[in-house]
Amino acid sequence: MEIIRRVLLTGGGTAGHVNPALAIGSALRSEDTEFMYVGVRDRIEEEIVPREGMPLEFVRAVPYPAGGGAKLPKFFLDLSVGVGQAMLLLLRFRPDVIVGTGSYVAAPAIIAAALLKKLWLLRPRIFLHEQNAVPGKLNKLMARFADKILVTFPETLHYFPKRKSELVGYPLRRRIAAIPREEALRRLDFSIPDGRRVVLAFGGSQGSRTLNHALIDALEYLIPYRDRLYIIHGVGLYKTPEYDAAADTGERLLRQYDAMQLTSIESFYTWRPYFHNIQHLYSVCNMVIARAGAGSLNEISAIGLPALIIPKAGLPGNHQVMNARAMERAGGAEVIYEQTTRTDGRFSEALDGKVLAEKIIALALNDSRLLQMRLRSRAFLNHDALPKIAAIIRGESPQDAAPLPRYTPPPMNSTPEDTSLPGNQELLTRLEREYRSQGAQYKPKNVVARAEDLEYFKSRANTLLASASWQERNLGVKLLGLLNAQEKLPTMLALLAERKRAPFLKRLFGGDYNQVGFIRRNIVMATIRLNVLTPDVESALLGGFKDPYYEVREACALAASHFNDRIANPRPFIQALLDILGDSNLDVASAAAEALGKLGGKQDALAALLHLWDAKYWRLRAAALRGLLHLVERGRVTDWRMLENRVPQFILTSTDFRPHFEIKSSYQLLMEAISRKKETTAPQ
Amino acid sequence: MIYFLGKLLHPHFGTLSFLRLAEYISARAIGAALTAIILTLWLTPIVIRHLHRKGLVDQWRNTGVDAAFDKAGTPSMGGAVVVGCVLVSCLAWCNLSNMFLVAVLAGMAWFGMIGFLDDRAKARFHSGDLGMSEPKKLMLQGLFAAALVALMLGPWSPLPADQMGAFYVPFLKFPVFQSVWAYAPIVFLFVIVVGNSVNIADGMDGLAIVPSVFVLGVLGLFGYFLGNAIYARYLNYPLLAGAGELAVFASAFAGAGIGFLWFNAYPAQIFLGDTGSMAIGGAIATACVVLQQEVLFLILGGMFLTEAVTSQIQDKIGVRWLGRRIFMRAPIHHQMQHKGLAETKVVIRLWIVSGILALAALATLKLR
Repeated sequence: MEIIRRVLLTGGGTAGHVNPALAIGSALRSEDTEFMYVGVRDRIEEEIVPREGMPLEFVRAVPYPAGGGAKLPKFFLDLSVGVGQAMLLLLRFRPDVIVGTGSYVAAPAIIAAALLKKLWLLRPRIFLHEQNAVPGKLNKLMARFADKILVTFPETLHYFPKRKSELVGYPLRRRIAAIPREEALRRLDFSIPDGRRVVLAFGGSQGSRTLNHALIDALEYLIPYRDRLYIIHGVGLYKTPEYDAAADTGERLLRQYDAMQLTSIESFYTWRPYFHNIQHLYSVCNMVIARAGAGSLNEISAIGLPALIIPKAGLPGNHQVMNARAMERAGGAEVIYEQTTRTDGRFSEALDGKVLAEKIIALALNDSRLLQMRLRSRAFLNHDALPKIAAIIRGESPQDAAPLPRYTPPPMNSTPEDTSLPGNQELLTRLEREYRSQGAQYKPKNVVARAEDLEYFKSRANTLLASASWQERNLGVKLLGLLNAQEKLPTMLALLAERKRAPFLKRLFGGDYNQVGFIRRNIVMATIRLNVLTPDVESALLGGFKDPYYEVREACALAASHFNDRIANPRPFIQALLDILGDSNLDVASAAAEALGKLGGKQDALAALLHLWDAKYWRLRAAALRGLLHLVERGRVTDWRMLENRVPQFILTSTDFRPHFEIKSSYQLLMEAISRKKETTAPQ
Repeated sequence: MIYFLGKLLHPHFGTLSFLRLAEYISARAIGAALTAIILTLWLTPIVIRHLHRKGLVDQWRNTGVDAAFDKAGTPSMGGAVVVGCVLVSCLAWCNLSNMFLVAVLAGMAWFGMIGFLDDRAKARFHSGDLGMSEPKKLMLQGLFAAALVALMLGPWSPLPADQMGAFYVPFLKFPVFQSVWAYAPIVFLFVIVVGNSVNIADGMDGLAIVPSVFVLGVLGLFGYFLGNAIYARYLNYPLLAGAGELAVFASAFAGAGIGFLWFNAYPAQIFLGDTGSMAIGGAIATACVVLQQEVLFLILGGMFLTEAVTSQIQDKIGVRWLGRRIFMRAPIHHQMQHKGLAETKVVIRLWIVSGILALAALATLKLR
């Protein structure tokens, strides 16, 4: 055991990084320990740290630029300035131990310490604590300088070198403990009738707009259960001109419900901007609805509460989703993903109130499930993190300090997909491969085994639709089609109908709309893939026939072929197909000719198709013949004499042919025979 | 080798006076062509079987063309045979101290090596789309382009001293400018663009090799005329002493190309691969530069340029930037195929086009 005189703490940006640092600091505190906190000006640490009576110094630090590229030089310049400042601080303070809790704020001090160590000017030991299931970019980078990386989630261990990383849990600042339910009930400023299942919903101290909106919307569906439920809602302190959590919640309630509904809602629902003693609420509730910040999840697990988690999407490394999935896999929580929806031409994250209500009812009224989740939740994380962290930093053997966590995730070598999820591009590659090999039998389930993952992927693909880059939006459209996300079709159709013009420069080179040609084509192709024909789809397809981009027109013709007799009113479709039969683009005209055969009849399609007998391109003539074949097979044409006269007119000379390779068919026959025989002899 | 032997021996031994022939470009050109053609006809079948055994065959590639014409499984390093046979034939018949020849051989070998590394990467990763990374390729090509510019402007330049930095345009007698600063960047970019253009055209059986023979053949003729004092004066060109050696090189290449076509004609038993197409591109680019005929390539290599430009427009402007196709398919030979022409027909039509372009380019020799 070493004597630790001077401890340097660093990390910040959000309370989620500052609080763990302060917690670790307090665990290391003894009479003669000196502390120094290194943070960034104008961040939350400037507010929290002085309150703890800890000396705070500032360095320059900026987040890693999201786009990279042109902003990188500035980033490195700022970083070097910060490192320089941190080096001076370090030389003055000469710490024995440096504890970093992540985010960009910690980078300068950690790098400076590593440099000084290399120069033999200082010998501090460096510790990093990672709160989330997915380490941040900078924490991953800093790991090489650290003596030990302390992690919260077992899933995080494999991101770091094995001998350097240690599973410790989350350093909670205050000791959260349940108090007897009766006592807690007495301390509340409202009363909960007996025999209700109590649900506590909160989105952290600031609140969460998605959760607030969804919960209010959900009340409508919860009214029938008002005798069995009680909902306590902390809406949060968030207050900006754009969104004021408390005011918005009050307004939304009044707007959405009439007086009678409000009376029944009041009997099972209460909301407050903020709860000062959340332990009391934890002690009375049966389940929690929360965001997936590491701090929240650790509190919930410390009490041992079943949780319904709505992770915030689109954060670095998607860490809330990964946190939530870790708890879900441990059995302590269920996850609902927020959805990107489009209202009034703008995208926002939202959660359907009905979905939330159904989930609440299914969970809160199922006692055996709640009990099981309660036990698993309690076992989810290591709750004696602080003594263990202190022991590791002091150089004591960690086994003396705290027991090992009871929950261990499946071993990493089982299947890599278990813990690390494929990115969007990787997922698309896998889905496309499956689609190519399976054709009509394709099911996304074969690629994404767990239904929960499928939901997550859908919601992740959905967020792409709001991206500023068309490549991302296009990726989203392709993924939604291949993931069978039928519920997302309205959003995609809205994109198709958007018709916002592309910038002038792009139009100069042949661009047209902001939702580029590929996106529009892929949306139309997705309607075929999803096999959904609603009146909205029909009108979108009819609009698509006039699209300036040829692949969209072609795709619409293919869709008309695909849906053929399911189309409610084929008249306008036939007219549109006749219009594009003369399209200057060969692909469009060919697709139209074939579609006419599937949709049209004697009156309209027949003459137009026969008229193509001398078309310039054989592919168009061939398509017309296929169209005629459809007409004949559908029994729409019965004038055999006329057909026998007119069809032989078709020019049958062709500039193309299909080569037949004798050896390849022999090979094919042999391979087929082998696999056939293998199947019949396999059982032995 | 034969050139040196002849030069060394025939003045001293009367019985070896037939070796005097080795000083004539025409005789050596014929010898080089015959050597190359015999070598390719002999070696290619051996190489084909070797490549099959080693598994160095063409990998599946996402071109958007019907899979019924699938060619995966055809060995793809045929270019190595062409390059090897041209090199051997040149070692035998050429004057290896000639800077024109050395530059062109170096261009062919360097670009061929880049292509070979790419081919090997594709075979290793079992994907036709995953070769060497584009920046890495461009860096290696840029290295050669810079070296060539330095050679042309340095003391070992094959050009006469008063031609340094001169830039000619077909149909004009005098250089449009003569400035080292303008010449260097233009030639640098030219080498990279032209060096890659054959690679893009190499997408169908026999499509790249025949037009390359036309192009290098015309460049060989240019070399022959510009290196000949009488013709150069008659055609009003500055005399490029020694450029005639390129005629020997071009014949060697034509021989190897025809020998290769024997096996590469539809349906192909072997492809040029990146090794071959890059090597040919490198040779063409270098030959144009040392003969001061950069702009001539716009006509002479019009087919290759169209291939390269359509493919770049489709990919860089259309697919990556605008988010739409500009052509139904690119490069242009895929467009023709998509519109309903059989591969054989596309190839023969493009041969005809490149033949006409080669004749047009040859006409500029006199029309100025």
